[in-house]
Amino acid sequence: MSVLSIGLLYGASTLVVMFAGMPIAFALGAVATLFMLFFMPAGSVDTISQNVYEEMASITLLSIPLFILKGSAIGRSRAGQDLYSAIHVWMYRIPGGLGIANVFACALFAAMAGSSPATCSAIGSAGIPEMRKRGYSPGFASGIIAAGGTLGILLPPSITMILYAVAAEQSLGRLFLAAIGPALLLVTLFAGYAAWRYRREYRDALALHQKSGTHSELLSKSTLTLREKLQLLPRVLPFVILLTGVMIALYGGYATPSETAGLGAVLALALIASIYSVWKPRDLAPILTSTLRESTMLMFIIGMSLLYSYVMSYLHISQSSAQAIVELELSRWVLLAAILLMVVVLGFFLPPVSIILMTAPIILPPLKAAGFDLIWFGVVMTIVMEMGLIHPPVGLNIFVIKSIAPDIPLGDVIWGVMPFVVLMMISIVLLCVFPGIATWFSDAIMGT
Amino acid sequence: MVHGLERIETEPAAAPAAVAAPAAAAEHILAAINALVVKLSSVALVAAGFVLTYSVIVRYFLKISTDWQDEMSVFLIVGAVFMSAAAIQAVRGHVAVEAITELLPPRANMVRQILVDAASLAFCAYFAWKSWLLLMEAWTEGFHSGSTWGPPLWIPYSLMAVGMTLLSLQILLQVVRGLWPRGAMR
Repeated sequence: MSVLSIGLLYGASTLVVMFAGMPIAFALGAVATLFMLFFMPAGSVDTISQNVYEEMASITLLSIPLFILKGSAIGRSRAGQDLYSAIHVWMYRIPGGLGIANVFACALFAAMAGSSPATCSAIGSAGIPEMRKRGYSPGFASGIIAAGGTLGILLPPSITMILYAVAAEQSLGRLFLAAIGPALLLVTLFAGYAAWRYRREYRDALALHQKSGTHSELLSKSTLTLREKLQLLPRVLPFVILLTGVMIALYGGYATPSETAGLGAVLALALIASIYSVWKPRDLAPILTSTLRESTMLMFIIGMSLLYSYVMSYLHISQSSAQAIVELELSRWVLLAAILLMVVVLGFFLPPVSIILMTAPIILPPLKAAGFDLIWFGVVMTIVMEMGLIHPPVGLNIFVIKSIAPDIPLGDVIWGVMPFVVLMMISIVLLCVFPGIATWFSDAIMGT
Repeated sequence: MVHGLERIETEPAAAPAAVAAPAAAAEHILAAINALVVKLSSVALVAAGFVLTYSVIVRYFLKISTDWQDEMSVFLIVGAVFMSAAAIQAVRGHVAVEAITELLPPRANMVRQILVDAASLAFCAYFAWKSWLLLMEAWTEGFHSGSTWGPPLWIPYSLMAVGMTLLSLQILLQVVRGLWPRGAMR
């Protein structure tokens, strides 16, 4: 059989078993094993367990469960609400400050927890009721939280980025640094939009008030004393120190990324034990069980995806597909657009983890040949996958919002989120025009 | 899942006595094992965090070179992941694409679920078998990891083999449960 027909068969059988609803990890493993049996030399299938073990036994990959543990410890404590309240009391006087405070709280929390749904539910469960109480429209409030939450997969330490670094064989430290500029850009765009939208909603409320006397909470003012402002700081500062400490340990060269993960997890557990008295086995059990559940599920997908791409590469499927894409001689921007569109479509069905590991061997060589910087592309691809978290049909974050604020109609949430999808598209265009937004910072710190 | 309406139309065949009792007993035993494994794996995960923290401390404050810490945490985490796979499968925690399955009528979906579970079982059992062969080889040939610490590789391999075996048993029980739903067991 030619490489083309084997490749088509490989792709088709993967689609069939996946859409039949077989767990992604087992589906990838089973297809890879069958193709090893039929198309690879006798005996190669004898080493599947060894293959998977050796791919998985990488300390970089195994830092993922520890990052999840850190996120879960912080996510399940009251840290999110406290962080939110602390930022809120300092910013509520600025017009639109409440919305901006929510964006900032999401960004900070995302950097600490590294998880998008965890950020949405931690900040959203305090932020959405507060914004609605102050007269923000429900759609606007949910849009801010859903979009802010997506920063979890962009800001370091992002699990998505760890996998990209492994799949693309790029420096993880550099990738983490390259994400900071674009993340700040997104935070600025989100905050700017929040302020603009607030003004509009305020103007409408004022006009309505003058016309019919309907009062909106948007128009009422409140004040807080300095005492109230200072009260929350002692609870929040340790977490901010944890965040900066871990970053310094990583970039100061004191710790490897995996050691950073271990250190972060231990410090997060120590913090929730000392600040929120969460230390008894009974209190810790839900944190550990959810960490284990997510980690095992992810690590199985990762291990099997790596087996899957090993087979794809042994059978020359990935090389031939990559070659075929290069030979199309598309202009670089058409190529980039086509690849990003494919990532978007795959995002309708698959989690980012499998998208990265399954497509990297096919899409990265043509991108490299077209002269794109793979660190830069990692950042762009992550932002595209962030969009997948908030746009239908999957939009994981939309469902998180639905679960913390069930009374907001789904339509309102979706319309509230759309402007943020547009902002993310704008940021991708900006990144294409000014790639330095991503690469400047990492080059400045780690050299070119 | 069995819906009331369908049970009248097509009462599932009662499980033969030879299946019902052992299956129920096996479910109990496996649930107990899973509960224990989840506890041990949680401890292993936290322990890995401490090992890596220790590694940073001894290297930067005590200036002692580190050799075993990375590998130790790999063993702890790989072990936790493989061992807890069955517990995760018990709650259907291994995610699947649900785009089409949601559109199927309940009865067709039941059949689909059994077929998919059987396929997962075939793969996991095959993988478990290969893991046992790998473990035996590592044991008899005395495989060691290539690092300076050089721990024997039968340790992580045995966790992988046992974990995949537990996972296969868990899926087998789910297939049995799919063929003879709880009502028909009694």
